Amino acid sequence: MSKAFGIINFAGNHITVDGLHEYRPIGAFSFLGRYRVIDFPISNMSNSGIDQIQVYIRRKPRSLIEHLGTGRHYNINSKRGKLIPLFSETNAENNIYNTDISAYVENLDYIEEATYPYVVIAPSYMVYSADFSTLLQTHIESGADITMLYHSVDNAKEEFLNCDILNLNKQKGVLSIEHNKGSAKNRNIFMDTYIMSKDLFLDLIKKARKLSSTYTLSQVVNYECEELDIRGVAHHGYFAAITDFKSYFDANLSLLNLKTAMGLFNSDWPIYTRTNDSCPTQYFETANVKNSYVSNGCLIEGTVENSVIGRGCVIKKDAVVKNSILLPGTSIDKDVHVENFVIDKYAKIVHTSEVVASPEKPGYIRRHDTI
Amino acid sequence: MKQNNMLAMILAGGRGTRLHDLTTKVAKPAVSYGGKYRIIDFPLSNCANSGIDNVGVLTQYESILLNSYVAAGRRWGLDAKDSGVYVLPPREKADANLDVYRGTADAITQNIDFVDSFSPEYILILSGDHIYKMNYAKMLAYHNECKADATIAVIEVPIKEASRFGIMNTDETGRIVEFEEKPAEPKSNLASMGIYIFNWKLLRKMLIADAKDENSNHDFGKDIIPQLLNDGKNLFAYKFKGYWKDVGTIDSLWEANMDLLDKNNELDLNDPTWKIYTEDVTALAHYVGPQATVNRAFVTQGCIIEGEVKNSVLFTGAKIAEGAKVIDSVIMPGAEVAEGATVTRALVSDNVKIGKGAVVGSADSEHIELVAKNVKGAE
Repeated sequence: MSKAFGIINFAGNHITVDGLHEYRPIGAFSFLGRYRVIDFPISNMSNSGIDQIQVYIRRKPRSLIEHLGTGRHYNINSKRGKLIPLFSETNAENNIYNTDISAYVENLDYIEEATYPYVVIAPSYMVYSADFSTLLQTHIESGADITMLYHSVDNAKEEFLNCDILNLNKQKGVLSIEHNKGSAKNRNIFMDTYIMSKDLFLDLIKKARKLSSTYTLSQVVNYECEELDIRGVAHHGYFAAITDFKSYFDANLSLLNLKTAMGLFNSDWPIYTRTNDSCPTQYFETANVKNSYVSNGCLIEGTVENSVIGRGCVIKKDAVVKNSILLPGTSIDKDVHVENFVIDKYAKIVHTSEVVASPEKPGYIRRHDTI
Repeated sequence: MKQNNMLAMILAGGRGTRLHDLTTKVAKPAVSYGGKYRIIDFPLSNCANSGIDNVGVLTQYESILLNSYVAAGRRWGLDAKDSGVYVLPPREKADANLDVYRGTADAITQNIDFVDSFSPEYILILSGDHIYKMNYAKMLAYHNECKADATIAVIEVPIKEASRFGIMNTDETGRIVEFEEKPAEPKSNLASMGIYIFNWKLLRKMLIADAKDENSNHDFGKDIIPQLLNDGKNLFAYKFKGYWKDVGTIDSLWEANMDLLDKNNELDLNDPTWKIYTEDVTALAHYVGPQATVNRAFVTQGCIIEGEVKNSVLFTGAKIAEGAKVIDSVIMPGAEVAEGATVTRALVSDNVKIGKGAVVGSADSEHIELVAKNVKGAE
């Protein structure tokens, strides 16, 4: 049993993923065929022995709530453990007041009532595996006030532009948190993951409210950098931040490299998800599939290359799907050519033969659309 | 949700001797089928989908895995209030010695107290080792419509093969007039599927009488059904149309898996209105590598295919390495085929490893080769 409870945070106001985001929060995005993005932070917590997990939801809760259910599939103790969805009641789309801090303020009772001395806060829009129990141990032993997880990258000029970065001193002390403006290649991308005591967390929430009604948690932590002992811990392995459409597209396809995938999945760190009880996938005589992930329940007669195919998709004869992501339940009819596209749930591509975009600017077909 | 006053009892004690090494450690109902299922998922899912809330599973042979598997009733959604899956191995009772189940009827007789605790009006007797999808609620409706004392589900089989089955001879109303076990000269092609609905009060009486009969085999087909007919009771045949398979041998288990490769196959596991539920395993969507070819195959999550797969069924977590060939075969959960190995017309058992360059099975064999032990790579 962990000494910490968990908080899964939502994406801030500055983050929008064109298309997909209109229908659901990023945590509920389909990922690598059978997962949702939020499965990763919740599984990390569950595998780390964290039994009580609060999931904060800002907007469009339906698909996320349906996926989370009772939380049983996350292997959390079904009596002592709890997966609690909490809402920020203002529920406004891009309201600058609708911050993580206001969601915590509205649900302050639940945070105060948690009987754990520490809290682990992780984002619902980032994909990585991390053992929070060792991280918590490190945090306690270091005596730091706050421990923050970061990932060092060498492509911060082009990627991670919607993320924050940590400026660290030589001892890994956090000097400041700022937005990644793409001005340097080598950056420590902040993984929006914090460990601190519950009491300090409560103090920060109250302090943020006093400082500014629009302050977020990262802003108040930045404000406190000089006062508090805040330390960074480097994360190794696979890391993706789903902070715009391109990053969602690239994160899925990057895992087609099995070696890369091994940095995210390993047998003693299972990633849990909700089962849909689909039967296995059926490949027909004419199927031609290469370098792809295929979920259960699909019927495949056509060609699939470098793609991620969600549950229950139909790919007809002579159809070609390349460098694309098909969300669950989509169907691609005969002779249709799909390339560099994300096809949202239940969409049908029937009457058109070319659905092609460039890899730099992948295209998107909306949910339930028939083209 | 209380839907009908019927309790189901699944007979799952059989060993399945003709499945050889597949059943040395697990009972036949727990044998894997169709990529992600176990055979007993079929009757259990049928019960769940038919609105039957309580299911007893009678186990006996090598039952550790089977007992723990079926006890988790929530896999099939059978875990609401007043709902459950109950594992019933033979047990010692206050007024009787511990005794194995001596026959299918005896298995129920030894659990009369269990059945009584639900005070059901009807009891549904099922076999744990058949693959089919059936709505038992419709069968119960037919039972009531006929005002039957017992209803037996039957399926039409080719008359040539009828002598392998228990055959029901019926009159024009569907009433059973005669039952013949494996008749040399069958008069009808209606084979019993081993699925019975009884009015519990009547069956209870019959079972108590049967238990005292020293000449009885305590078997539904051999003793109870003939006795009911002798007593002039109303027995009706309920005609089932659709896929039904008793996978008694390695060849027929292989065949039942191969049936899934046909387009629009009769079993249709993809039917969203009648899903078959099973254990939820933690695994990625399956991965097909850059060099792989996959044609006519049934593949489930957790598989990694980097070689060639043709006319085959791959179970959870099967791994086919680069340059390996799997043709006309069934690869059970966790089995691995290493680089350059060839598997043809074979059934590779759970977690078996086929070494580099090894050759298993052959295209012109009469029977399917069962591979139950690791095969060393070719030097």
